[in-house]
Amino acid sequence: MYGFIWRHLPGNAWVKALISLVLVLAVVYVLFQYVFPWAEPLLPFNDVTVNNQ
Amino acid sequence: MSVRVLVRTVSELCITIGTLIVLFVVYVLFWTGVKADSEMNHQIDQLQKQWSKGSVAQQSKAPPTTTPATGNPKTPTARTTESPKAPGPYAYGKPFAVMYIPRLGFTWNKPVLEGTGTSVLQKGLGHYRGTAQLGQEGNFAVAGHRRTYGDPFKDFPQLRRGDAVVLTDGTTWFTYRIDKGPYKTVPTDVEVIDPVPRKSGYTAPGRYLTLTTCDPEWGHSHRLIVWAHLDSTQPVEAGKPQALRR
Repeated sequence: MYGFIWRHLPGNAWVKALISLVLVLAVVYVLFQYVFPWAEPLLPFNDVTVNNQ
Repeated sequence: MSVRVLVRTVSELCITIGTLIVLFVVYVLFWTGVKADSEMNHQIDQLQKQWSKGSVAQQSKAPPTTTPATGNPKTPTARTTESPKAPGPYAYGKPFAVMYIPRLGFTWNKPVLEGTGTSVLQKGLGHYRGTAQLGQEGNFAVAGHRRTYGDPFKDFPQLRRGDAVVLTDGTTWFTYRIDKGPYKTVPTDVEVIDPVPRKSGYTAPGRYLTLTTCDPEWGHSHRLIVWAHLDSTQPVEAGKPQALRR
C-alpha cells in the first residue's frame, strides 16, 4: 500500500519525502477537523445530563 | 499474489489502524481540551464585552430615574435585599453567565450556556432548558463535562457541603451554598432537577441550584449531582462576593 504510493509519487527521493509529509499532514488535518469530531460524541463522555439522552 | 505482498499489506493495515487509534486518543484526551479551553475563553470574552456595553447602556439610562432631586446616592446594601429582576429568556447555545467554584480551583471559571446539547456542552457548562433562571425561584440546573472538553467538572467529587458556587450575569453576583452532594444516581433520574428536588432534603420552594455530571469519570452509567441554595446576592458594583476573595 505505502510502497505503491511511494512508487507513484513524482520526483526524486527528497521530493517524494516532502510530498509524503504533506500527505500525512493533510490526512491528520482531515481526521482532527472532520472525522474525530464526528466520532467522539459516539463515546460515552458526552452523557452528563439526566434527561436528554 | 505472493505471500510476501499479503503479509506486507496486512502489516501496513495494522500499523495504520494503530496510528489511527493513537491519534484518536490524542484527540480525545488533549485536543478537545485545547479546543474547549479556547472556546470557553471566547465565550467569556463575548460575555464581558456584552456586559461592558450593557452596563454603559444602563448607566446612560439610569440617571433620569435613579438620581432624585435630593441627590442621595443609593446605598449598595439596600439593593442586596431586593430580589433581582427576571432576565429575558436565554437564547439557545448562547452564554449568559459565568460560574466560579473556588473548591475546583481559585482560577476555575466557566461560561454557562443555554441548553444541554452536545455542541453546547463543548463550549462550556449547559443550563437545562425549562429549569429556573439564574437567581429565580425554582431550580437552576447546570450540566458539565467530567472528562474531555476541558474537564470542567473533573474534581466534582471533592465538592462538599458549605462550598460556594458563585455565578454572575453581569449585573449581579449570586452566591449559592452547596447543601448536599455529590449524590450518585442513574441517568433516568430526572427528579433531581425538579423545582424542589426532594432527594436533596429540600421540602419548600426556594432558589436552588443543581449541578450534574457523569460518573464514573470515563463512563456514562451514572450521574453525580450536587444541590445548593441561593445564599446571597450583591450587585457587581459592590465588588466580588466574599467567597471569591482570597
